[in-house]
Amino acid sequence: MRANRLACLVIGAGAMLGAAGAGAGQWRDGAQVYEKVCAHCHEANVGPVLKGRQLPQVYIERVVRHGNRAMPSFRPSEIDDAALAEVAQLIGASAPLTKE
Amino acid sequence: MSSNNRVLPKGVTAGDFDKAMQEIRAIVGAEYVLVDEEPLAPYNKIMVPVADAQHAPSAAVMPDGVEQVRKIMKVANTYRVPVYPISTGKNIGYGSAAPVERGQIVLDLRRMNRIIEVDAELCTALVEPGVTYQQLYDYLQEHNLPLWFSCPAPSAIAGPVGNMVDRGVGYTPYGEHFMFSCGMEVVLADGEVLRTGMGAMENSNTWQVFKWGYGPTLDGIFTQSNYGIVTKMGMWLMPAPPDFRPFCIQYPNETDITKIVDALRPLRIAMVIPNAVVIAHTLWEAPCTPVKRSDYVTGQGAISDDAVLKIQADHGIGAWNVYAGLYGTKETNDANWKIIEAVAAATGGKIITEEASRGSQALQYRFDLMKGKPNLGEFGLYNWRGGGGSIWFAPVSQAKGSETLKQMKMAKEILGKYGFDYVGEFIVGWRDMHHVIDLLYDRSDDTQTKNAYACYDELLHTFAKEGYGMYRASTAFAEKVAATYGPVKRDVEKRLKQALDPNNIIAPGRCGISL
Repeated sequence: MRANRLACLVIGAGAMLGAAGAGAGQWRDGAQVYEKVCAHCHEANVGPVLKGRQLPQVYIERVVRHGNRAMPSFRPSEIDDAALAEVAQLIGASAPLTKE
Repeated sequence: MSSNNRVLPKGVTAGDFDKAMQEIRAIVGAEYVLVDEEPLAPYNKIMVPVADAQHAPSAAVMPDGVEQVRKIMKVANTYRVPVYPISTGKNIGYGSAAPVERGQIVLDLRRMNRIIEVDAELCTALVEPGVTYQQLYDYLQEHNLPLWFSCPAPSAIAGPVGNMVDRGVGYTPYGEHFMFSCGMEVVLADGEVLRTGMGAMENSNTWQVFKWGYGPTLDGIFTQSNYGIVTKMGMWLMPAPPDFRPFCIQYPNETDITKIVDALRPLRIAMVIPNAVVIAHTLWEAPCTPVKRSDYVTGQGAISDDAVLKIQADHGIGAWNVYAGLYGTKETNDANWKIIEAVAAATGGKIITEEASRGSQALQYRFDLMKGKPNLGEFGLYNWRGGGGSIWFAPVSQAKGSETLKQMKMAKEILGKYGFDYVGEFIVGWRDMHHVIDLLYDRSDDTQTKNAYACYDELLHTFAKEGYGMYRASTAFAEKVAATYGPVKRDVEKRLKQALDPNNIIAPGRCGISL
C-alpha cells in the first residue's frame, strides 16, 4: 500500500526533492514513521515510552490499528502495512531511551 | 463475514452492497477496499460518549485521485450507498474517522496527499485532503521556504483540508482557517467537479489569490456540510516574520477573565496582537505540564476549587494563562512589547517570555503552535482523566469579559453536577471567542460515559437557552446541535441537499443535514 509520489511543484523557489523527503507524502522507512508520528507523544512525556521494552511486534501493530484509550487508531491509508511492520520491529528491538 | 451480522448501509440489501463494493474494487483496486470487521477497526475508534456500534462503518474505500472519487460517486448513486468522506480522519473528540451514521462507507481520502503547488512569491499552497500539517511543514523546511501556516493542536497527524472543512481554528495570525483558505475543488454527488471562485474559469491563474470569483461565493456551503467532497483546497501561507515574540501572561484568579478579555480585545481588534490569543484555564495547563489528577483528587466527582488552587501554587500555573505573540520586525515588536507590558501591569498579570519559559512542556507546545510548528503536546489532556473519553463542547462567545465569565460559570456548574472538571480555554477570533471545553471522562466506565452524554446534552440546551450556539460539534450530537439553530436555516439546508444530492448519498446526517 505504499504510494509512490512525486507531486510537488514549487513555483519561484526551491529545488525539487526526491520522494525520500518527508514532505513528499511517502514513508521512507519505519524510523521516519516513528520520528514523524510516534515520537510526538511517546518521546514527549505524553504517551508511555515504548523503546527498550521489548514490546512484541504483533502487539504494537494491533494497538496502532485499533487504538487504545487515548491512543488514536491509524489506518493503512496513513501508515501502510509495510511501514507499520518496520516501525513495530524497530520499537521492539530498540534500546531504552537515555533521557527519561 | 456473513451477510447476517455485518454492518450494512440503511435500506441497502446485502446483494446491492456486494455489487457496489465489487464495482468500487474495480475502480480503486481490491487492496484499497475494506469490508471485514478487523481491518475496519481503525475507522471505528471514537472518543465520544456513545456506543461504537452507532458509528460503525460498513466499509472503507481509499481512492488515490479525483477521477476515482468521481467514479465511486456514480456507483454510490446507482446502489444508493451513502459515503462518508474523511481527510486525515483525526477529528478526535468530534467523531474521529467514524461515519456520522452507522453503515456509511468511509471514503478515506488520506492517500490523496499531494502538495500540488506552493507559490513562494504569493505565499499560497494548493493541497489535497490527505496532506498532514507535518508533511506540509517538512515540505516547507526541505525547500527552505520561510513560510508559516496555522494549525490546530493535534497538528502532526491532522491536515489542513479536513480542519478547514470542519471550520477548525489555529493559533497564528491565520488562525481562522476557513478565512485563510482560497479556492476549493469539489466533487459533487453526481460526479461533476466544481472549482470554486476563480478556479471555475479555465486557464485562470488567480484561483489561490482571489476568493470570490463572479456571482455567489460557494465555498462556505462545502464546510460543515455534506454537499460535496472537497478534493483540493487553496490556502494562504504567512511569511515568517523577522521577529517572533511569543509570550504567556498568567493571572491568579478565575474572575480575572473579565479584565483579561476587556484589556486584550482592543489589542486584538487593532491587530497589535495579530494572532488567535488563547486564554487557558488551570485545568487545561495542568495535564499538559504534566500534573497528575490523582495527586489532587480522590474518589469520584469533580475536582474542588481548593485542589485547583493547590495545583496553581505547586506548579506555577495561573488561574488563567494567556498565550499570544508579536509578529513583526524587531522595531515594531519592541514598540508593541511596551504596550503588552503596560497592559499586563495594569491588569495584574505576570508575563513569561520565551526565554523564561525554557523547560516548560506546557508553554513550549503553545509557543510552537503559535508559529505553526506541528506537535501533539495537547494530547496530554487525555491523561487527566484517563480512559480515552473526550467530547468537545465549543460554544461561541462575544469577546466581552462579562460574557466569558458567565459562560465559564455556567459550564463549570453543569460539568460539576455530573462529576466532570472544567477543562476549558477561550480562543480569541477578532470579535468572538471560541469557548472550547474538553469534556474528559473515562470511556471504559459505563456510568461516566452515560454521564458525559447527559452532561453534554444539558450544556448544549442550557447554553442554547441563553442564545449561545456551537461553532462545531461531534457526530454524536450533529442533529441536536443543528436543531438549536432553528427551523428556517435547516429547511434551506435541506433544499440545498435536495438540489445537489437528491439520492442523499454524501454523509447523510452530517451537521444534521439529510433528506
